[in-house]
Amino acid sequence: MTDVLRRLRYWIQSAKRSEALREEMELHLAEKAAELQADGMTAERARSEARRRFGNVGLKHEESREIWVTRFWSELGQDVRYGCRTMTANKAFSALAVLSLALGIGANTAIYSFMESILLRSLPVADPESLVVLNWHSRPPWDGSKEWVHVIRGVQGILWPGDKGAMVSGMFPYGAFETLREGNPVFSTLFGYFNGHNRNLAVRGQATSASSEYVTGDYFRGLEVLPAAGRLINSEDDRPGAAAVAVISFATSQNRFGGPANAIGQSILVDNIPFTVIGVTPPEFFGVDPAMAPDLYLPLHTNVLVDGTGAARMYGDGNFYWIEMMGRLRPGVSMAQAQAALAPHFHQWVATTARTDGERANLPALMLNPGAEGLGSLRRQYSKPLYVLLAMVGLILAITCANIANLLLARAAARRREMAVRLSLGAGRFRVVRQLLTESVMLASLGGAFGVLFAIWGVRSLTLLLSNGRENFTLHAELNWRVLGVTAALSVVCGLLFGLAPAIQSTRPDVMPALKNGRGGGPRRRAQLVLVVAQIAVSFLLLVAAGLFVRTLNKLHSVQLGYARENILLFSLNARQAGHRDPEMATFYANLRKRFESIPGVSSATLSQSSIISAGMAGGAYRGTMKIGAVTGVTIVGAGVMAAGPRFLTTMQIPILAGREIDERDQPGSPSVAVISERLARTYFGNENPLGRRVTFVDEKRDLEIVGVSANVRYGGLKEGSPMTVFTAASQFPPDRVTYALRVAGDPLTYVRSVHEVVREADSRIPVTNVFTQAAEIDRTISREITFSKLCTGFAVLALLIACVGLYGTVSYSVAQQVGEIGIRMALGAQRGAVVWMVLHRVLLLAAVGLAISVPAALSASQLVKSFLFETQPNDPGTLALAGVVLLSAAILAGYAPARRASRIDPLAALRHE
Amino acid sequence: MGRKAHKNDSLPGSLDMLILRTLSLRDLHGYGIVQFIQQSSDNELLVEEGSLYPALQRLELNGWIDGVWGVTSNNRRARIYKITAAGRKQLAVETRQYAKLTLAIARVMGAG
Repeated sequence: MTDVLRRLRYWIQSAKRSEALREEMELHLAEKAAELQADGMTAERARSEARRRFGNVGLKHEESREIWVTRFWSELGQDVRYGCRTMTANKAFSALAVLSLALGIGANTAIYSFMESILLRSLPVADPESLVVLNWHSRPPWDGSKEWVHVIRGVQGILWPGDKGAMVSGMFPYGAFETLREGNPVFSTLFGYFNGHNRNLAVRGQATSASSEYVTGDYFRGLEVLPAAGRLINSEDDRPGAAAVAVISFATSQNRFGGPANAIGQSILVDNIPFTVIGVTPPEFFGVDPAMAPDLYLPLHTNVLVDGTGAARMYGDGNFYWIEMMGRLRPGVSMAQAQAALAPHFHQWVATTARTDGERANLPALMLNPGAEGLGSLRRQYSKPLYVLLAMVGLILAITCANIANLLLARAAARRREMAVRLSLGAGRFRVVRQLLTESVMLASLGGAFGVLFAIWGVRSLTLLLSNGRENFTLHAELNWRVLGVTAALSVVCGLLFGLAPAIQSTRPDVMPALKNGRGGGPRRRAQLVLVVAQIAVSFLLLVAAGLFVRTLNKLHSVQLGYARENILLFSLNARQAGHRDPEMATFYANLRKRFESIPGVSSATLSQSSIISAGMAGGAYRGTMKIGAVTGVTIVGAGVMAAGPRFLTTMQIPILAGREIDERDQPGSPSVAVISERLARTYFGNENPLGRRVTFVDEKRDLEIVGVSANVRYGGLKEGSPMTVFTAASQFPPDRVTYALRVAGDPLTYVRSVHEVVREADSRIPVTNVFTQAAEIDRTISREITFSKLCTGFAVLALLIACVGLYGTVSYSVAQQVGEIGIRMALGAQRGAVVWMVLHRVLLLAAVGLAISVPAALSASQLVKSFLFETQPNDPGTLALAGVVLLSAAILAGYAPARRASRIDPLAALRHE
Repeated sequence: MGRKAHKNDSLPGSLDMLILRTLSLRDLHGYGIVQFIQQSSDNELLVEEGSLYPALQRLELNGWIDGVWGVTSNNRRARIYKITAAGRKQLAVETRQYAKLTLAIARVMGAG
């Protein structure tokens, strides 16, 4: 211990000790000289002899100092001080370098923090590693004749495609849950949940829309979550007939009650059903799906209260798949063991639900997946786009480093004498290289530090872009220690990367010519050219990417919707959740429509089961088989059904080609009517008049008379929609939830307040949700394409700018080098134009080489983003050609100024300068 | 940081041992130590005087000798070193090791 203290003391006092040591050595020399003098030498000779015998005083002093100051750290200190001096001596260069590095490193940090939050963060519960999600897989449910042959007769949720077209899902019938739960040897807990979607949550008369999740009794116990207040749902609460209790999220408790403590014991209305709040979840808990954070947790069996007694059927139906499950493995049990133990159990049970041999041949097989990161929907949605973005910003950082390397190489020429002097004085080459690298790493670290600031802004804007107005976007990227660590590492790597080549170049051991003159060429020049070509190649890649995404966006924008985009306000209401029931509900909606129409500035109002663009997702008014004429007629394939209110076509500005649109005549009592789109009419009726003909909804045994033909309307999204639509009357196919569309004069958003007032007057228990202008609603569905388009264009422009700066620098430098040669040429009679061409020709050559390298790379890389494109081929020749032209023009522009300068060289002055 | 590695001696590390031995007999300053070693070895061991100082720093850092400013016998200002208890122990260790080494070399030279 005293040893360590002594060393510490010596290190702290090193300056004083150094002085004392010097004095000691001087005294030694003096004593030796005195002795030699006494022996008969002259004072002069004695001193020099004493010195000679001593050895290299400076070196010995250094060696002695090294004993108490670790060499590495003292040299590092020196390098850092020297680096600071160099940086302040070249303020402009340093500032530019730091700025460009800040942008590059900042962008990388921002995107990495998103990736980290999606791909690497685990659920905020105890021991997430022991959680497993239960899934099953089977072969596709269609047999040869495209009929559905599978045990699943009904499903409430998502089936997603697995490998090789197999069907994968996380939903199970309730019977499976009960069977697997009993006496389970491998799970310490098995719990279930299912998405309750948005509900009307009324607290003390105030109603808003809240997302909900139904959970089984062991859900919170299995996740080992502790309440922030009150208690959480347990098995006692999840029995048929138990008291209706609810758990709310921390955010909800703050927004609606003013704090978790205030919420306990309060009564709330969920879809007009009374519940009591018994607990609040902790602030960082968001359930098991990172994509969605429920505001409300309800015991599973209460769905009978909320969704009506019809929901009780779900529990007994072994072919209805709706509940999702997760389990916690017992200590010592691996996921593979658990799967091996449970799969036969599940197989046995599911075989009892099969009714035909066909179904028995294709039974679902149990599969366990790790649950630590929660359900994978968020990851599935965002991981690929994020990887693409990361690749792009990575490339931008690379070319920024290339630029700085180039500039350092050019500056190395100026410092050649300095390096040569240091090398000749005995500094090791490694030492000098280390010092130059320290400079570069310092530059990069400064860039990294500023980059963090830039990253904060970047994360905020990216969150805005990606969430695109959605209310409960759960992706929270944060700059935590892991991310900052990555930033620091990135800075150091960059510094080493762009500093290495110039450092090695500067310290080549051919010292003599440098001392004499200071001209150099050869390998340094080659390195510069390689870097510039690489920058051009990368810029081309990014230009192609940007071009492809912009083209995709244009194609999307040019998709014919068939209805108006501007001046329409959309919003949704769900009266059923506030307690309304048929047939009064339909009347309520109809009356509201008339009230909206009377708002000043509203030229017409209408309603429908959903906005047209979201129609596919919300589920059509009718999804079963449709036939022309009687049940024996031709089946209509590929059409969407939309329940629409009066004046729908007028409000949406869809032309009526024949007959009439749905209007007030069509009431629940009157004959069912339908309006079809032109494409449907042409496909199934040819040139005959479809008016008066009938359409049959087989599954509902309803018969509709065609009373009108509309122009073609795209039902559903821009990418997936279908051009064939059937409009039914909302009064005859009453939806629970409606979307109103108001045609207004001026900015639609200015009418939102009036809308709220009208709704509040009519029924204050109903919240107004999903308020958007039609234009915003359409853009929302292509938000990813819009984001990508904007970002890539920005990246491409940035990359091109950096490459051009690099090109400009290199060309200027080479022109400066060749002043003599150009002077001679001009003296020998070369015209100005010829000189310009000489320079530009070299520039074009560089660009051409860059393109040659880049085109094959672009062709293969663009295949990776194929899934993001729409009606655009990854190797679209138009885009490639345009990118090439842009690049060449930019290159010529970058090279033009130096070329002009070259042509203005006065040959006499140039030759004299030699 | 200030441990073994050494340059200027035929037998590595023996300069340390010689210094410790010298100081175990009497307190001396740097120049005095050089004089003592050269005289005692009949001028066989010629120590490069400069090399002494790194060695002294190392010995001081390890706590085996202690240096204070003072005045020498011929009235010169100098830093005078004396051996510490730990230093005496280290001297014993190094003497033993050195003896082992010379014995081994002698055996090899005498063998065959």
